[in-house]
Amino acid sequence: MRVFFLMASLAATTFLTSVHAAGASSKVEIRKTTDGGFELVRNGAPFFINGAGGTGFLENLVQAGGNSIRTWGIEQLESAGGEKNLLDRAHELGLAVSVGLWVQHERHGFSYNDPAAVQKQRDEIRAAVRKYKNHPAVLVWGLGNEMEGPTSDGSDPRIWKELEQLARIIKAEDPNHPVMTVIASAAATKVRGIQQYYPSIDILGVNSYGGAMGVGSTLQSLGWDKPFALTEFGPLGHWEVPKTSWGAPIEPTSRDKAASYYVTKTKVVEDGRGKCVGTYVFLWGQKQEVTSTWYGMFLKTGEKLPTVDAMTMAWTGKWPANRSPKILKIESPLANAVVSRSQEYPVQATVEDREGDNLRFDWEVRAETTEQSVGGDAESEPPAVPGCLASGSGDAVVVRTPSKPGAYRLFVTVRDGKGGASADNLAFQVQ
Amino acid sequence: MKKILTIVVSAGILSTAALQAQSYDFGDHSSQTLVSKAWAAQDAKNDAAVLAYTGKCIEMFQPQALEQQKALSAPLTVKEEIFKQWALNDVGTALFIRGQALERQGRTAEAIADYKMLSEQLPYAQCWDVQGWFWKPADAASGRMKALQFDAM
Repeated sequence: MRVFFLMASLAATTFLTSVHAAGASSKVEIRKTTDGGFELVRNGAPFFINGAGGTGFLENLVQAGGNSIRTWGIEQLESAGGEKNLLDRAHELGLAVSVGLWVQHERHGFSYNDPAAVQKQRDEIRAAVRKYKNHPAVLVWGLGNEMEGPTSDGSDPRIWKELEQLARIIKAEDPNHPVMTVIASAAATKVRGIQQYYPSIDILGVNSYGGAMGVGSTLQSLGWDKPFALTEFGPLGHWEVPKTSWGAPIEPTSRDKAASYYVTKTKVVEDGRGKCVGTYVFLWGQKQEVTSTWYGMFLKTGEKLPTVDAMTMAWTGKWPANRSPKILKIESPLANAVVSRSQEYPVQATVEDREGDNLRFDWEVRAETTEQSVGGDAESEPPAVPGCLASGSGDAVVVRTPSKPGAYRLFVTVRDGKGGASADNLAFQVQ
Repeated sequence: MKKILTIVVSAGILSTAALQAQSYDFGDHSSQTLVSKAWAAQDAKNDAAVLAYTGKCIEMFQPQALEQQKALSAPLTVKEEIFKQWALNDVGTALFIRGQALERQGRTAEAIADYKMLSEQLPYAQCWDVQGWFWKPADAASGRMKALQFDAM
């Protein structure tokens, strides 16, 4: 659901040259296990995906125990920054890449009834596979992400039929890497559409948030008999949480998010009964979607949030040497309240830090975003409202509500000065 | 030993619920009514009422729930058959709702005890979602239990 960019150009794929780093091309197979499940076999060895969606903070990912990243569009491979492309950087770090091949969405203006546009997309995907198939970092081809539309019921067969054509193109070009297609939630109509019209799929990727832990049993109940991966999971989505009286979604606390990430990772594998070949946590990076802290696992300033620690525990069974501070609670009459303009309210944060680091608190009021993006499309972060910190510092402050009526959030960010942070917010409305 | 602890903690909650029970209207005292009232109390953010209604449901129907669970070897899949396991479903749901209320009150050990009991002793309980499907309170409880244990680490 959560793509934060593109739909744009596969133009980069039109290069005809093949790209591969030093080292042999990878070969990835799907093998049936003795207990009726599946496993990926990469260069002869079993490989379970402990992955993350995103292209940054890769050293942190390796330190946390991750072994794979997932991209959404081929241009990400070239625009990773620095002198090396993303596949080379990943390979150097020992990370395998689920290489996203963007399949157009009709909600972005594409038409699957336009033969010329459909052919152009096929040509671009063929070129991309031809270009990158020999790179040793390639794990699987991620053919499409929620191309059925994040709010679609998946009953339109055109997209599934076209995916079948695209998968055949990929397999003709590259028999050494499985094809995975990612849908938004394991809805029955989508799964049945794929079963009926898209037999060449190797792995079903499912993006799921609130229902992520039960994806395996849901697929089993629908008769899905191939491997699956949980390709996006994270906190409860903003469409899944309780709302304030004025309709603002209440963001889960950083404490709840950390627990949710850990539990989802461990439960989905149990629930998958051997058919889950891995998971990709979302988002290994930072983005604005509803708020600047809802989905990202890092701050804009680069500090890791408690969700990174949670995944470190999930992947390695150990905590990192320095854990992020933990916000236990934020107490204020301002929380989820309708208040008057230019009034002062006390706010108290209770925070613990396992290492006893000196903590820095930053408090900011921002207007609620007015952008209603769909499917994780890009949003801009509303600016901070000046003059809202009336008094106090550290974990106890007095906040002055803005003079302009509207919906707002008070954000608190706690940094330990050693690369760890936590961030929470509370919503309020000014009349 | 763990089971004994679970029973002791649950019994403690039941006693509390029994003390609170006098001031609440339990309607026809059916498990369905009690669970419906518990959901409504949860929506109204009235945790005391949640504890009273769920406690009453568990107190009255736990023996039948355990019997119905014992008679099953796998989760049922046919809607009509699932609904016949009324005690199992309602007591399982009540345990989950009560666990959530206890969490909100910061009574983590008691919440974990409810979730543990639900996961281990009533795993085939199912709850009908008005959106058109059944969900398993034991699965949800297992997730919450893990989350609480993680949070304490």
